[in-house]
Amino acid sequence: MSQAPAITGLGMTEMSVTAGPDSYALATEAVAAALADAGLDRGDVDGLLVGSSQGVREDRLGVALARRAGFGDLRLLEHLEIKGATAVAMVTRAVLAIGAGMARTVLCVFADAPIGAGKAAGSTYAQSGGNSGVRGLERASGVLGSVPTFALLASRYLHVSGGSEADLCAVAVAARAWATGSPQAVNRKPLDEDGYYASRMISTPLRVLDCARPVNGAVAVIVSSVRPAGRAAPAIEIRGMGAVHPMRRRRAGGESWFGGGGQAVDDALAMAGTSRDGLDVVELYDPFSIVTLCLLEEYGFCATGQAGKFVRGGGIAPGGELPVNTGGGQLSGFYLQGMTPLAEALRQLRGDGGDRQVPGAQTALVTGIGGRVDHHEALILARAAA
Amino acid sequence: MTATQGAAPQGTVPEEGLSGAGDWLVAPDLAPDAADPVMAPLYAAAARGALALPFCAACGAALELEQYVCDACGASAEIGTPGREWRDVPLVGTVHAATLVHRREPGLIVATGPYPVIDVELTSGHRLVLTTATPSGQAPEIGAPVEIAFRTVGAVTLPAVRVLRPPQVIRTTRE
Repeated sequence: MSQAPAITGLGMTEMSVTAGPDSYALATEAVAAALADAGLDRGDVDGLLVGSSQGVREDRLGVALARRAGFGDLRLLEHLEIKGATAVAMVTRAVLAIGAGMARTVLCVFADAPIGAGKAAGSTYAQSGGNSGVRGLERASGVLGSVPTFALLASRYLHVSGGSEADLCAVAVAARAWATGSPQAVNRKPLDEDGYYASRMISTPLRVLDCARPVNGAVAVIVSSVRPAGRAAPAIEIRGMGAVHPMRRRRAGGESWFGGGGQAVDDALAMAGTSRDGLDVVELYDPFSIVTLCLLEEYGFCATGQAGKFVRGGGIAPGGELPVNTGGGQLSGFYLQGMTPLAEALRQLRGDGGDRQVPGAQTALVTGIGGRVDHHEALILARAAA
Repeated sequence: MTATQGAAPQGTVPEEGLSGAGDWLVAPDLAPDAADPVMAPLYAAAARGALALPFCAACGAALELEQYVCDACGASAEIGTPGREWRDVPLVGTVHAATLVHRREPGLIVATGPYPVIDVELTSGHRLVLTTATPSGQAPEIGAPVEIAFRTVGAVTLPAVRVLRPPQVIRTTRE
């Protein structure tokens, strides 16, 4: 039975904080889990979209996965690269391919393995980037990894908004409160303000608890127009899609973050025929606490400069008026780029959220960003009516 | 160029200008590729003590360092007729944003204390993310006036910041 494309399978590896299998092995495991979840065999899959972390990794996942993971002939095979926006964009590409008759069942997989033997993820990131282009100049100026860049963003945002470290703290504490209810989250130990302020500074004003939790792991989702009979998990419909890639120039007089994301969300909501009030959960891309603040404003959930106050008042925490990053996000959950918000939205909409389940969650916003908040992708997902 | 600027971090490294002394912040492995075609004019200018940055050859708009086609007028870099030209700019700007980096990657960062990284707005219209020319353990205030000076990493001279107004407020850990 052929229907509108929906997400019919979800597969996740364990989220590991120690060295282990490479990204191909992890991706293969997630693929198998997603197929089992959807009740499909490899032969049912005719499309494979692969995403991987940009940067310098010997085992960076690519289209070779199709051979290594035992797939048969495919009609759609592609490695996507839109920086951090990739994972969310893969779902959009799958929907478009299915709608165009280019495929029926598309498996989207993302894997990353930044943690090596005796090498923390922070070192992997710090040692990546090369010595050419603007990156070469910035690395020679001490900008290693992405933390200093987002610390500059945070410095500027707090200056312009009149906010303080308390705003960042509130984001980190809310993320942890959600994570305590999620078995998939890496950091589940309860966190209070004292614990936040005691955590080590990485690059002012960002502490380690303001930064995403790197893991070795993989997530795979299946987008399909086919609904196998006898499945337990409900298909999750893709009601709306939006993407904006604003070409903002970094010039004197310009700001560092605003633009584009709100339009991507507006477009996705319009396609879905709903509004912000119709959203039950918001799963956004939060590599740093500061990004949650920026995106709450960018997406139109808070007025400019008001996100800190909203978050300090418990607005995004369990029991708040806008449940955000209900699995702990990338901060306390796990950092697998756009797969982090996507996987959590699927769990919530399936009703599989366990202790962190938002009661009656029917509609979710999922977003991905890339670069220095340069690329925006948005999805509206909904549980199909029974 | 003054010899020192700002507070030196604990256990500071030798002062700039000493024969054979390395850069105060990073190891020579982080030296930029001075022959990189995208950035070579910047490093060539820095070697003579100037800051050169790209502008649209047609309309004069300030371009980003990796930008080849002007977004203001659309003039492009056609073969033989470069659409962008590098011009020396005044060594003057203000702080757009600043951070004090505490994490120091072993083998790449040689400073022994936290170091500043500064997003500078130049009067030319460009933005550059740089550290200070001389050892510093402080991040300047947003809006503070700065000058562009230079430091040398490996064999490559690159622009850096000289802060003209030290921080007035010490941020508390908690409000």
